[in-house]
Amino acid sequence: MDAIETKNLSKTYRAQYGRRPPPSLVGLDLIVAENEVFGFLGRNGAGKTTTIKLLCGLIRPTRGDARIFGEDSKRKESRRLIGYLPENPYFYEYLTPRETLDFYGKLHGLSAAAREAEWKKLSELLDLKSIADQRVRGFSKGMRQRLGFAVALVGDPKLLVLDEPMSGLDPLGRRAIRELILRMRDEKKTIFFSSHVLGDVEQICDRVGILVKGKLTRHGRIEELLTEKITKVEIIASGLNGAAIGEVKNLGTSMRVSEAGHHFIMPDLPTANLAVRTIHKHDGQLVDFAAVKESLEDYFMRAQEAQS
Amino acid sequence: MRILAVAHNTFREAVRDKVLYVLVFFALATLLGSKALGWISIGQEIKIVIDFSLAAVSVFGVLIAIFVGTSLVYKEIDKRTIYTIICRPMSRYEFVLGKYVGMAALLGVVTAVMGISGAAYVTMLGGTVDVTYIYAVILTYWELLMVTAFATLFSSLTSPILGAIIVFSIYVVGHATTILIDLPAHFDGTTSKKVLEIIYYIVPNFSNFNIRAEAANNVAVSFDYVIWAMAYGTVYTAMLLVLAAIAFENKDV
Ligand SMILES: Nc1ncnc2c1ncn2[C@@H]1O[C@H](COP(=O)(O)OP(=O)(O)O)[C@@H](O)[C@H]1O
Ligand SMILES: [Mg+2]
Repeated sequence: MDAIETKNLSKTYRAQYGRRPPPSLVGLDLIVAENEVFGFLGRNGAGKTTTIKLLCGLIRPTRGDARIFGEDSKRKESRRLIGYLPENPYFYEYLTPRETLDFYGKLHGLSAAAREAEWKKLSELLDLKSIADQRVRGFSKGMRQRLGFAVALVGDPKLLVLDEPMSGLDPLGRRAIRELILRMRDEKKTIFFSSHVLGDVEQICDRVGILVKGKLTRHGRIEELLTEKITKVEIIASGLNGAAIGEVKNLGTSMRVSEAGHHFIMPDLPTANLAVRTIHKHDGQLVDFAAVKESLEDYFMRAQEAQS
Repeated sequence: MRILAVAHNTFREAVRDKVLYVLVFFALATLLGSKALGWISIGQEIKIVIDFSLAAVSVFGVLIAIFVGTSLVYKEIDKRTIYTIICRPMSRYEFVLGKYVGMAALLGVVTAVMGISGAAYVTMLGGTVDVTYIYAVILTYWELLMVTAFATLFSSLTSPILGAIIVFSIYVVGHATTILIDLPAHFDGTTSKKVLEIIYYIVPNFSNFNIRAEAANNVAVSFDYVIWAMAYGTVYTAMLLVLAAIAFENKDV
């Protein structure tokens, strides 16, 4: 069964001061399979947090629905299987990490013995032992993030939903989170996490989705998306007569002349091959053949520019 | 149980935040200050001290109920502590109810401490408190439960400041409900009279919980009356909590 399945999931927040805001999420159709690491990319304001809040039942969809292991996200049963780490997690400042985990254990209906076992396991995993009995009030960003992770893992959820888990951390902290995510994947958990930094996602995700202005514009396996798509092919040829130049030029989109010869721009690979055959037919010389590619990075940058 | 876990935390927060100590300190200081008023008439001193103690329990209890109560749910949303709680396999009403129960427990301790201090003070001055004093403290507590339910409801609807103003207004009107029906004769048969009459039945009648004068003057209050007033408060409170749960159920947090 899929860990996450959304159908036409949409959210428009309620009007404030009489003005209805533009939709924050539009018709999201997404499937995240079990034991997958899914990266959810988009710049600030793209709708990542909105999507995550919908998945965790914090807000209600305007249209469409989301299922967590087949269970409607509006139902509390769906939340038994989710561990959620909010963007900049906030906890009760007057509690200690030990009390905090105990509290969340109770919310999961764990017995005292189970809560104790949970504390042993998670304080070990996230290195909380040394700060076990200090109040959260004085904690640094890194300590809060570790505690946040521990809280998300209470109740041993099968799906982890992490909202920008690496933002605001130093390189060492980012690396620790990355390792933790991979470790969770090895423990057969599904991980859905958002980020506005491509690099965070590229290294550890099986699949990514790119969100622009509330719309999912691209998604797929990272290898597929990283398989650079050929956007055009540039051919340079010399030794062609006027008629031949005209014939090749007609196949492509544009042409210019340099010392190397005539530069022809072809829209795709088959046309480029046809152009090469034409050049040979007219006894021309092929000087260069270059496919111009677009990477995920190029795409991501372009999508962001289009938005701003 | 989840409700109790949330309640325990709410209680613990108030205790650790120390705001409470300040309020209770003020309450006790006021109580001792009543001695100064007691000088006014030597013979009636005990009576005034009893009246004053009970009034202090009520006033400080209501202040705590309104000011802490109206930020009960709001604060959790504002400080985003609610994110990691609501995303658990629990119903939202369990959260609202947990906050309420924690607050009710807190007010229980405050009321008991102040009630006992008042009684001790009266005894110290050579007076005695009878069962009516205990009834008066219990009914004051029941009034606080109802005020807290109002505060909880508005806490899940609006900001603490607006909530506090509304709950305080309800509190004031709820103590003077008879004004709404004891109208001059020329109101007879008018629409305003009907509207006011409807309001009279909707607005809580807080004076049901006020037997302080009886306690001060040694006038017996029947056990049946106390039970009746408690039942009234309980039903009203339950209704308010259902509304609070409904208001919170589909709220975007
Ligand atoms: N509670 C809210 N009320 C109104 N608009 C909101 C609210 N939360 C977010 N938005 C708007 O929705 C859009 C998406 O926000 P968000 O989901 O937080 O984006 P991201 O997490 O990708 O940065 C933004 O334009 C933001 O201003
Ligand atoms: Mg966000």
